[in-house]
Amino acid sequence: MRRIWIPALLLLLFPPAIRAQDMALSTILIDGENWQMVSSGHRFTEGPAVDSDGRVYFTDVPESKIFKIDLDGKVTLFAENTANTNGLMFGPDGKLYGCRNGEKKIVAYNAKAEAETIADEVQSNDLVVAGNGSIWFTDPPGKRVWHIAPDRKKTVVAEGINPNGIILWPDQGTIVVTEGQEAILWTFRVERDGTLTNKDRYYGPLQLPSGADRPGSDGMTVDAVGRLYVTTRAGLQMFDPTGRLGGAIAKPQAGPLSNVCFGGPKLDTLYVTAGDKVFRRKIQANGVRYGK
Amino acid sequence: MLRLSLHRVPTGVLAAFACVALSLAPITPASAADDYTLGPDSMVQEGVPQGTTTKHQWLNSKVFAGTERDYWIYVPKQYDGSKPACVMVFQDGGSYVDAKGQFRTTVVFDNLIHKGEMPLTIGIFLNPGQVPATEAGQKPRSNRSFEYDTLSDQYARFLLEEVLPEVGKTYRLSDRPEHRAIGGISSGGICAFTVAWERPEAFSKVLSHVGSFTNIRGGHVYPSLIRKTERKPIRVFLQEGSNDLDNLHGNWPLANQEMAAALKFSKYDYRFDYGDGGHNGKHGGAILPDSLRWLWRETPQ
Repeated sequence: MRRIWIPALLLLLFPPAIRAQDMALSTILIDGENWQMVSSGHRFTEGPAVDSDGRVYFTDVPESKIFKIDLDGKVTLFAENTANTNGLMFGPDGKLYGCRNGEKKIVAYNAKAEAETIADEVQSNDLVVAGNGSIWFTDPPGKRVWHIAPDRKKTVVAEGINPNGIILWPDQGTIVVTEGQEAILWTFRVERDGTLTNKDRYYGPLQLPSGADRPGSDGMTVDAVGRLYVTTRAGLQMFDPTGRLGGAIAKPQAGPLSNVCFGGPKLDTLYVTAGDKVFRRKIQANGVRYGK
Repeated sequence: MLRLSLHRVPTGVLAAFACVALSLAPITPASAADDYTLGPDSMVQEGVPQGTTTKHQWLNSKVFAGTERDYWIYVPKQYDGSKPACVMVFQDGGSYVDAKGQFRTTVVFDNLIHKGEMPLTIGIFLNPGQVPATEAGQKPRSNRSFEYDTLSDQYARFLLEEVLPEVGKTYRLSDRPEHRAIGGISSGGICAFTVAWERPEAFSKVLSHVGSFTNIRGGHVYPSLIRKTERKPIRVFLQEGSNDLDNLHGNWPLANQEMAAALKFSKYDYRFDYGDGGHNGKHGGAILPDSLRWLWRETPQ
């Protein structure tokens, strides 16, 4: 009996917000699991995005091609002539939203890889799509973040930073933006109308490679307990929900590490885009689907 | 599992947790570590004037935009506004102000002020902020680690630009650094040091209980900074226990020993009480009267 009651008591004493602490890398890494190469021979991979079945799509930006990684690991071409589509994420409608920056558009690809324009005359790098279809995307040249409401009205919601990656917390109440030269990540509160308030340097400091003066932080993902994973020059850095660094997972290879998502049917495998290749690694954490 | 997260848990929770931890312990040592108890200076004493404590909410911070927090103001019975009072700020204020908690700070203040062992001091007990959620079902964003563990002047600015001026509208507060102290537990302890380190002209007395001088957000660099920076006019009381945390952020007993060694090296006015406690307020609470006597000794009025 006692053994049953103690965990219950612990749960009472530690509501989730307080229990979610001291998240060392050892709490998520699995002994014997390492990065496995999934795809190679690309020029610059980016935008990993998971569909409703756990398949991961990614883009080769300079080649203007989007690829699909099936659950068995087989890689096939999904779309070509994508006008340097960069950041990708599946929306609640099952469409693949993308930063089609070569045409200054935000688009949604359907299953046939046909692109529907969601917004035009905007520059973009990365995006996040909420459970209600709301989209936020980064505009590095304009040094701003945009919001596209479900009715497709677009608005600038943050300015004065040099944004790159963007992600929502699992509960979609907070948005996180990377700025590659800053050793912190910006957080904003998400208001009901999609505007962003209360900007702060919540996550940090990021680990820097020895001798470097900037982390080169890029794309991000979050897991179900609120840990955040950010690609950087010093590796895939993991933060707990209170903004404290848990540790840096080693990069699969030297060179760029540009973006990350969870994939697989259980969303328990990290997929990273790393220069000419894509790698995956099973860990003890699960990704999230917004609004589900 | 048992070592999870203790360094940001309110002390009331810690006390309850300690009971559970003990019940789980496979062996009960003959003489238990961390068996500190409160003395008479932490108990309400007959005939000692009792100050008043009022609870407030801070909702309009600009330094920590969007945060909300509770705070409490303790005013000694002897305060009459005829001269500025000394000020002591506590992080995790709710734990320190709790008259039945591990610190019982206001009771200790009553007793020490009555005996003339510390000056007339107004206590400001601030909880960490949180950014409230927009929608039902969302979690508020806890700002505690960001506010307490970050090495910057942001928390000091919050106190000096917002909190002290606001409290100063109602009470006469001294602005002399020797009349201003700040204390806290765990991340609140390193926060206290950071405030004085950043603004020694505003705060000169630091009280740290099981302070997190570890690499939560870079705080492990303080020992080396203390050694390689011209000495600042700060008086520091460090309490630490040999059974404190050892986790991904660092080793608390070693970090505090490093702090003490650095303060000694740079000839600071410091005291280091190293016991056998864990990551809680038992030891710090038990010696709070003694710590405050030491911290406030020879304070010019």
